[in-house]
Amino acid sequence: MQRIKTILSSAWTALFGDPVRAFGVVSLVLLIALAIAPAKEHFSEWHRYQRQYLKLIHNRGDALSLQRRFQPGIHQIWLPNLGVVDRCTTCHLGLNEAGLADVHQQPFSKHPAIPHSLDGFGCVICHGGQGAATTVSEAHSSERAGEEPILPARYIESGCGQCHQDQLPGTPQLNLGRSMLRRYGCVHCHAITLPDGTKVVATDHPPSLAHIADKTTREWIFSWLKDPQAYSASTTMPDFKLSDTDASDISAYLVSTSTPLPGDNATLDVKSAMSADPSAGPSLYGESFCSSCHAVQNAAGNLVGGDLGPELTRIGNKAKPEWLKAWLQNPRTYDATTPMPHYRFTPQQIAILAGYLQGKSDSDYGANVHLDPGTAVQIAHGRKLIVELGCAACHEINGVQKPENFAPELSSIGSKPLAQILFLPGMEHALSSYIVTKIRQPRAFGTSVKMPQFTLTTAQTDALTTALLALTSRSRSMPDSLRVAEIQETNYQPAGHAGKLMTELACLSCHRINERGGDMAPDLSWEGSAIQQQWLVGFLKNPNTLRPALIRRMPRFNLSDNDNKELTDYILAVYQSPSIDPDFTLPAMNAAETVEHGRQLFYSKYACQACHIVDAKTDKGYIGPTLTQVGSRLTAAWVYAWLRNPQALRPGTIEPNQNLSDDDARALTAFLMSLKGPGRRGTKQ
Amino acid sequence: MNAEQTIEKVRGSRIWRSVFRSGTGNSTLHRALAIQQNIFLHLFATKVRKRMVRFSATWYLGTLTLGTFLILVITGILLMLYYHPSVPQAYADMKDLQFVVSSGLFLRNLHRWSAQLMVFLVFAHMFKVFYRGAYRTPREFNWVVGIVLLLITLLLSYTGYLLPWDQLAFWAITVGSNLSSAVPLVGNKIHFLLLGGNQVNANALLRFYVLHCVVLPIMAVLFIAVHFWRIRKDGGLYVQQSEPKAQAPSDSIEPAQEVK
Repeated sequence: MQRIKTILSSAWTALFGDPVRAFGVVSLVLLIALAIAPAKEHFSEWHRYQRQYLKLIHNRGDALSLQRRFQPGIHQIWLPNLGVVDRCTTCHLGLNEAGLADVHQQPFSKHPAIPHSLDGFGCVICHGGQGAATTVSEAHSSERAGEEPILPARYIESGCGQCHQDQLPGTPQLNLGRSMLRRYGCVHCHAITLPDGTKVVATDHPPSLAHIADKTTREWIFSWLKDPQAYSASTTMPDFKLSDTDASDISAYLVSTSTPLPGDNATLDVKSAMSADPSAGPSLYGESFCSSCHAVQNAAGNLVGGDLGPELTRIGNKAKPEWLKAWLQNPRTYDATTPMPHYRFTPQQIAILAGYLQGKSDSDYGANVHLDPGTAVQIAHGRKLIVELGCAACHEINGVQKPENFAPELSSIGSKPLAQILFLPGMEHALSSYIVTKIRQPRAFGTSVKMPQFTLTTAQTDALTTALLALTSRSRSMPDSLRVAEIQETNYQPAGHAGKLMTELACLSCHRINERGGDMAPDLSWEGSAIQQQWLVGFLKNPNTLRPALIRRMPRFNLSDNDNKELTDYILAVYQSPSIDPDFTLPAMNAAETVEHGRQLFYSKYACQACHIVDAKTDKGYIGPTLTQVGSRLTAAWVYAWLRNPQALRPGTIEPNQNLSDDDARALTAFLMSLKGPGRRGTKQ
Repeated sequence: MNAEQTIEKVRGSRIWRSVFRSGTGNSTLHRALAIQQNIFLHLFATKVRKRMVRFSATWYLGTLTLGTFLILVITGILLMLYYHPSVPQAYADMKDLQFVVSSGLFLRNLHRWSAQLMVFLVFAHMFKVFYRGAYRTPREFNWVVGIVLLLITLLLSYTGYLLPWDQLAFWAITVGSNLSSAVPLVGNKIHFLLLGGNQVNANALLRFYVLHCVVLPIMAVLFIAVHFWRIRKDGGLYVQQSEPKAQAPSDSIEPAQEVK
């Protein structure tokens, strides 16, 4: 102890013994302290990476040109109109170097090929993170400062979505996420306004519950509310994690306020038809192509069928027989806006189909549910729950107003500051992880959270997260010239009696006309220019498939001759393309010779048989439509115009534009128009 | 000595005399004039007791406070070259100091730590003055000036807090400015005046910037000048009455220049 004291005191004397010495020592310490600051700069990370890069390229064959392009110091990409300063290229030195394609060592590897120049778009617009930073930790994960870390690569498509409001072929995840925002009804509760000012509109069709008691029982509603996925694995209805009492009270309210519709309880007395042929049900279901829209779970547990309508695996547990018959007779009586077409079924067909569907049931489903009639207190409590949970945001419910702005708006969710987010313990402090967790387990963020539990796959949650991350404030503030607008759905409505007929048949559920409608079936905007009247009449009477590889087909609607004629006339008169010359004629002379020349062009020069079938015996092309009777289906003017430039008539079609000469196009047209189908082969034009 | 003669010659030259008004000579008068005739030094006493400038007398707390203030002025001016008091730019400018400005982080840290140190030193200085009884007659007014300087120091520290425009700054100023709303009757008016609005935003940032870089430093310089001038007028660092009697004998009067 004494020794330490002596040493300390002698050290003190040696350093600060007299004023001159003390001054010298203090000055020296200050000098060293001041020298540390510039020294730190010299040993900074980016200096180290630039030295490493020079070492890396030193021994390469293209060292000279690489060295010539290398500039020491801090690099930056400055985009004043986007408010972006990116210094990433200070360390990521090989991004633009095509020669470094073989280098996989970060930060020197080459950027994968993208349609944009790196210098024009910078890095953080797509990758997030802090572009201005010059150290790895600050740039990639400056979480401590509450700044957004770099975006995980699996959400990278969100970067594209900031400018591209349209669908890009290269961004399947973003496209899926965007369609899910509409299809899963997210936008019923969360308003999303796109940068161009349009609102995202839901494309799902949550049924009205105004007449629910006609359709189903209170017991089914209870079981459904408790676990929607148990009834239908593919439903978009989320699980609200309701207690038995709550589910019972909600069902009590819904049943008590439901108003009956005339017709829903009428019995169709044609039961005898059912027993006649047990295969009549399945074959009618198949003939009507119900599965184009409705899915059914097969024995292996896989869903087979489309997703436009609800899954029908256990429809027998849900639908009351009388309601089902009324629905099949005319769905629009119960729900005026349903996407389901009005099939003109005969009473006997209705009975067969209803009986077949009633058979699709699961005797275990809801077997133990027995509810006593709801009391006034229960009904009142049910209503309170419906208001609290926002059921009316999606469903029409008697006595409950549709709530406005029920859930937080998501128009700029992709730029939500981290400081405004309450993260769960152990969660990565990043917006992407917050969004993805919120979608996966909304209730983990507290018991007062109303958002229900959705059943989604990882791919789906990632897609939704990508679509949400694309909704940044930058996408709203950027110059209009950078924005690629979405193709807007119009509110096109066919006119007149034929228009009413088309609404009844729900043509737009599958077909697209004048930028409105589904994408399951061909666009009909210019159908009138394309097809021949006689063919259309026959097709509507008995639709056959044009594309052998497709499972989904046009159903038969049992139209009356009058309706059929009206519809055909309307389509031919109205859906005319302005670019098709209605007076187009093929050269009459040398008809046979031209046809033969066209055949050669078809088979040898252009090898069309790779995708199309002309002779069912020899050709194997399954990609495009069958052409065996194209001559009696399409107009010559359309075929000619199509051959000259397919994309001009239908943007995005995969038919290649072969830049045919006029002569070749005419010869091919002549050949194709000579194909009149099996029964009429060889008839003169 | 030759060197000394040369120095004397330089000091006697016309150029020297035109710059430094006092002439050569080692007389008490000349030494006193050297202090008195210099605009910067005339605020100080022309004569100081030698033991009064010993470390033990004041612990140099006032001088150190002035030292930190000078560091703050110099680094502050340099920082002003890199900083825009605007909402989209302020935080980015602060980060750029760290990322691309040469020794920018050093500059910023020097400013920040000197500011912390200055607040600490001001308090220490006041404690020392208080416990030594140096606030008593005739120095009551200088004590009051010191209190004003304390307030200015605290306000400088507070206004500087907002300028980084990060979350800490934003919420600290939100909370701090809300305190002013508690003033009876005019509280909300003061709050509005301080922030230039009802919330901490662009106007508040600009106001705090102007206060921090213009208004408060000028006030500080003025009051520091008054403070120093009063030290001299009130009789130096230490008055006879407050001295312990035992230390009287070795007391001698020396010209201020000898202190160095």
